[in-house]
Order: sequence, then structure tokens, then C-alpha cells
Amino acid sequence: MDFTITKREEDFRQELRAWLEENLPDGWLEGNRELPKEKDKYSEFLRNWQNTLYEGGWTAIAWPKKYGGRDATLMEEIIYHQEMVRVQAPPLVNYIGIHMVGPTLIQNGTEEQKEQYIKKILTGEQVWCQGYSEPNAGSDLAAIQSSAVRDGDRWILNGQKVWTSFGHLADRCFLLARTSHNSEKKHKGITAFLLDMNQSGVETKPIVQMDGRQEFNEVYLTDAVAYDSEIVGDVDEGWRVMIALMLHERTGIGAEMFTLEKQFNDMVEMAKEFRVNDKPLLKDPFVRQKMADFYARSRGSLLNYYRNLTNTLKRGKPGPESSIDKLLVSELTKEMAGFIMSIQGHNGVLWKEDAPVDTYWQDNFLGSFGQTIGGGTSEVQRNTIGERVLGLPKDMGR
Amino acid sequence: MDFALSEEQEMFRGYLRKYLDDAGQTKVAREFIKGEMHALKNSLAGLAELGCTGINISERYGGLGLGALDLVPVFEEIGRALLPGVYLETMALVVPLLEKYGSEEQKEKYLSEIASGSKNVTLAWAEPRKSYNPDEIACFAREEEGALVIDGMKSLVPDGELADTYLLLVRTSEGTGGDGLSLVLIDGTDDIEMRTQKCVDETKHLAEMTFREVKVSKRQLLGSINHGWSILQEGLLYLNAALSSIMVGGMEKIVEMSTEYAKIREQFGQPIGRFQAIKHRIVDMKLELETARSLSYYANWSLESEEKDRKAAIFSARAFTTEAYIRVASHNIQIHGGIGFTEEMDCQLYLKRARYFENYLGSTSHYNEQIALAMGW
Repeated sequence: MDFTITKREEDFRQELRAWLEENLPDGWLEGNRELPKEKDKYSEFLRNWQNTLYEGGWTAIAWPKKYGGRDATLMEEIIYHQEMVRVQAPPLVNYIGIHMVGPTLIQNGTEEQKEQYIKKILTGEQVWCQGYSEPNAGSDLAAIQSSAVRDGDRWILNGQKVWTSFGHLADRCFLLARTSHNSEKKHKGITAFLLDMNQSGVETKPIVQMDGRQEFNEVYLTDAVAYDSEIVGDVDEGWRVMIALMLHERTGIGAEMFTLEKQFNDMVEMAKEFRVNDKPLLKDPFVRQKMADFYARSRGSLLNYYRNLTNTLKRGKPGPESSIDKLLVSELTKEMAGFIMSIQGHNGVLWKEDAPVDTYWQDNFLGSFGQTIGGGTSEVQRNTIGERVLGLPKDMGR
Repeated sequence: MDFALSEEQEMFRGYLRKYLDDAGQTKVAREFIKGEMHALKNSLAGLAELGCTGINISERYGGLGLGALDLVPVFEEIGRALLPGVYLETMALVVPLLEKYGSEEQKEKYLSEIASGSKNVTLAWAEPRKSYNPDEIACFAREEEGALVIDGMKSLVPDGELADTYLLLVRTSEGTGGDGLSLVLIDGTDDIEMRTQKCVDETKHLAEMTFREVKVSKRQLLGSINHGWSILQEGLLYLNAALSSIMVGGMEKIVEMSTEYAKIREQFGQPIGRFQAIKHRIVDMKLELETARSLSYYANWSLESEEKDRKAAIFSARAFTTEAYIRVASHNIQIHGGIGFTEEMDCQLYLKRARYFENYLGSTSHYNEQIALAMGW
């Protein structure tokens, strides 16, 4: 066993750290992390941040150098996540573009597609979203009904997408639509389009989340248009492209693991400072017991992630065990956030400018519910682990 | 990043598993419950032959001079087979303490015999109806002409009848907290009265020991007199790291049992593993297992490499794994249905073992508090 990192990796960390100190938005490191409220300003802020990352060579570090990446190793990517969590860096507005669409185009795209999209993904000029889910096709993705019908050299798209993160800011959408109803298997007959969001046939309506944020959207397609040049892979073979796209997430849930670790440490600090009956919370025997248990479990989840990462490094690709990491980190994040709310006592229900310590905790609590749903619900993760890790029989109906 | 046992350690695990499988896995424990010792003696002799009893003993006493991580496969495998005996106490408490605090005479006397498999040592700590609190230690040893004369009782001594020697926690002078306590190595003699206690986990033959004016040379003190408590605390780091590995082995076997059963058992015309109520429960057991394994690997690694966070690491492995073992053992019975509730199946053996470990040398709340203290809270 070996947890040390190499000299080269440590140099990488220091280089990134120095760059972040120099380039994070003004006041960020001092704790002024307020993002603009208004949509256009918000979008501009995040695009500017991504462009700053691009100019420093810190956007798509895992991409090949030829396409503007750094050819970063898996360990360098892990360090990258750790450092970004450490400084609580602004969100990457083009997450989908950089971690999924870009690598897919590099692998499967035509020369024209690479020429047209890759650079703009890097700079933040073109922000991408993902058009998978529909009102009746969430976890059962093959049930999508949005259709694309050929019309000369064009395709006419109709239907509705939902839970489209950053859809209101996006310029392009990696979208799945049904192009054939004739196949026996329902995941056949789906095609992957690189849809232009800036056209009259595409309308986005933000959905307000329970934590007050507006990150995802409903997207309505009414005779929207796409061209043959905007299809990735072959017609009716979009399912394969989508699966390949999802596998491009090499470090998986890493950023959330490090965020959980940070939240745990922040919770300890809060419990040292927050006083109840004139005594620090951390001296309350019940709180100590629970916190010790959370220590064991959050530490265990992180160590488990490292053990799976070791396997990934040895095999050269991630395995289905990554569902274990996703399930552990999301469920634990939710439980821990709920605990923090409850130990703040009756003041814990105060929110926004009246929050007893920092609205951070109340926001985390409300936001944590998204983690056990987004990216595959906990129930879907359990099916994956049961079937692909333990070899249990497939669910009825599938 | 390399967080896995080495190829050599995994290979050694392979030999052990094959050996214990050939011996019938839990068959050894079941015969032990019936009072037949033959299978156990054979298995223990076989483990000694494979080198398991010398792993962490210095080469000069006939051992291999390896560390805590090299013991992990052994502990996991004996936990899997529910092997009775005092291998845990001998290898993970007495050996490291002898190596560090033993006199040359003690090392020569005990370590080479442990390495060869001919000596087993267990721990005599608790007293009848008392806790593990040091203030409650009443068993007293008074000094008399270069000897210690011991009076008092010990209870819950793990497999007293299988041990040749006892590491005894005794009061050698008045004091509070751990002050005035000493550790004495005492070889079994006819002077010591021993009675086997009935235990819910019948693979454990706990003993009650009575000392009436039992005389032992002062040279049998481990470390200096009146300083036994702090030495014992250090020993508990080794013991708890190892114990978490034993429990991981048991949990691994349980998850396998449940998974296999859910594949073959049919109800409503389907294997029950197809139902999410069953499948998801088994997945939750798997999550407990993997988390426990990660914590226990790290605990043993941090012990071996003397990391700063080793106390928090070891106590958290101990506390989490104890609770998780009980949960998965209970789920296992539920998944097996009616048959899981019978003596015929192994399910019950693991549940009873999990309950035995729950309060062994301290409760979960005790270890949670130890985590808090180790974190500086």
C-alpha cells in the first residue's frame, strides 16, 4: 500500500495552487464567493471563469495535448479535483462539454465536427447541455419519445426534455431522439444529435429547485431543426454513443468525495464554535457520538473510493464499482446535511440572511436531495451494483 | 496511489482459503461447539505449518519479521471460517507487546514457542460483573520476596482452556484511572481454578478464573510494575486493527452466502434476487462490507507505518465494523427466510459471533468517544 504522491504529482499540485491564487476572481479566496443573481450576468461570470481556466491551460486537462488538453494522468485529475474543492472554485459551466461531449467527439466525431466544436468547448464560447431525460423517461431512458423525422437533408425534432442542467445557458445540446420505431429492442432506433439551442424551435423553461436555484430546465422541441452533419455516430445507433459518452467520466465521483470530506471538516469547525447552553456543540455527548460515526463513514467512503481508484489504475478503466462510490457519497452527504440542520436546534430552520451560522448548511441540506436522484437514482445504482458487481439476476421487466 | 493488499499477500490468502475450505470451513467451529477438539487442533497445527503463527515475530525468535498488513489475510480468513481459538489475542496483542516491552528472557521463553505454534496466550482482563473501566480492577497482586502473590477473579477470558499462558491485568498498588495496574504473564498451573462460562456464541469458550494466593515470579511482569494500563492501551491498537479484519472476513462470507442464496432460491416463479426488496438489501450489505474493508485496511496500514492518524483510523475501523457486522449478519437471516432462523444454517453462527465482538474489550460508544479524543475534539 502506498498513499504517497510522486514528485511530479506534487509539482503539479503546487503549480495549480499557485495559478489559482493568482487567477481566482477577486476576493474569492477571502470568502467573497457570491455569484451574480441575474441570468446574463451569471452566465457571463461563469464563461469568463472558464475562459480564464482555458488561458491558463486548466480546463480540459485530461484531453490529448493535440486538442488543447494536458494529457493529464488519472492522479493529476484527482489532484485537480482536490484543489478545486479546497478553494471552492466557481462551478464549471461547461462541465458536460468538457467531461463528456468533447472526449466523445475526439473519439467518434467527424473531422468537421472536431473542427467546429472542440475549441469552443474549451474556451467556454459554446456551452453544452445534455438532452436525455423526458417526463416519462428518466431512469428508464430507452423509453424516450422525442422524435426526429428526416426531411431532405434536415431532421425535424419534436418532443420535450426535462432536468436539463444548464439548459438555459447552453448553446448546444447533446440530445437523444427516436429516429425509428421498428426495432424490437427499444434502445435501438435512437440517434444522438448535436442540436443548436439557439433556434426558434427550441424553448427552455427554467425549473426552480427546492433550494431556490434554477439550474435545470424543461426544453420544448417544436419542429426544431438538425442536420446530418449534427449526428454523432450512425443513425439509430445513438445508444452506443451515449454509453461511450458516459464512460468518459474517468474520475467519476471524485469531486463529490472531496466535497464530502470538506463538509465533514467544516461541520467539525461549526460544532466547535456553535454554542448551545453556553457549551460548544462538540462537547455534547450525543453530537460527539454521531460525529465519530460520521467520521468513520465519510473516511470509509473516501478510502473505498481510493481502493476502487487503485483498481481503475491497474485495469486502465473504471468498473461498475463506481456505482458503490456514487451511492455511498450521495446518501452520506444527504444524511450528514440533515444532521447538521438538526444539531443547530430550532434555529436550524432559519434560512438565507437569517441562517444561524451560514446559509451554506441549509443550502447543502436542500441541495443534497438532488444527489441521490441526479446521475442515476440510488435505486438504479443499487440495481447496477446488484447485477453487475454481485451478479444477481436482472430486475423483472428488463 | 496503491490501496490494495500486495500480490504476495493475496496469494498467501489463496493458500489459507484453500486450506480452511478443505478443512470444511465452519465444520471446525461446529465440532468445537459439540466439544470435539480434534478438527480445531488439526487446523491450528496446519496454520502454524503455513507460517501463520510467526508472521509478526522477529526472525531471531523464529518468526518472519513482517507487520500488521501481512496478518490481514490470516485474520480475514479465520474470521470467514469462524475458527475458534486465541490466535487473535496471541498474535495481535501479546506478540507486539512482547516484542516491544518483553525482557530478553520473556522473549526467548515465549516468542519462539508462539512462532512454532506450540504456545497460545490469551487475555484476562474483566472481572465478574464489572466493566472494562480500570478503576474496577480488584484482582490484586502483592509483592513478597521477589514474587507476586495474586488474589482475585477474572471473567470472560477468551477461550481460557485453549491457552497455555495468560496476560493478566492486576492491581499492584492503589490508584485511580490506570495507575497502579500491571500486566503479568502467568503460565497455566493447577493453582488456578478455571470454569468454562456459557456464551451465546458457542464457538467461544469463555472462562472464569479464580486466583487464591497464586505465586508468580516478578520476572513475569510485562513492562514495569504499575504501568500496565498504558501498555495495554498500546496493545489495543494492534488488537482492534486485527479484530476489524476478522470481522471483515465474516462479513465477506455473509455477503457471499446471501448472494448465492438469492440466486438459487425461487419464490413466485423467480429467483428471489430478482426482487428489489431482496437485491437492494444485499447491495446495502455489500456497501457495509466494502466500507469496513477499506477502514480496516487503512487501520492496519496506518499502524504498520506509524501514521499520525492511526488512533482515529483504528478506532473508527473497530467501531464501524462492529456495528456493520451485526447489521449484515441480521439481514442475512432475513434473506434466508425460515431456514435462516435454524441451527442447520451458518447464518446464526455469524450473528452470534458479531454479538460477541460487539462489546469485546469495549463498546461502540466507548470507541466512538476514543475517535473523538483522537481527533482532538
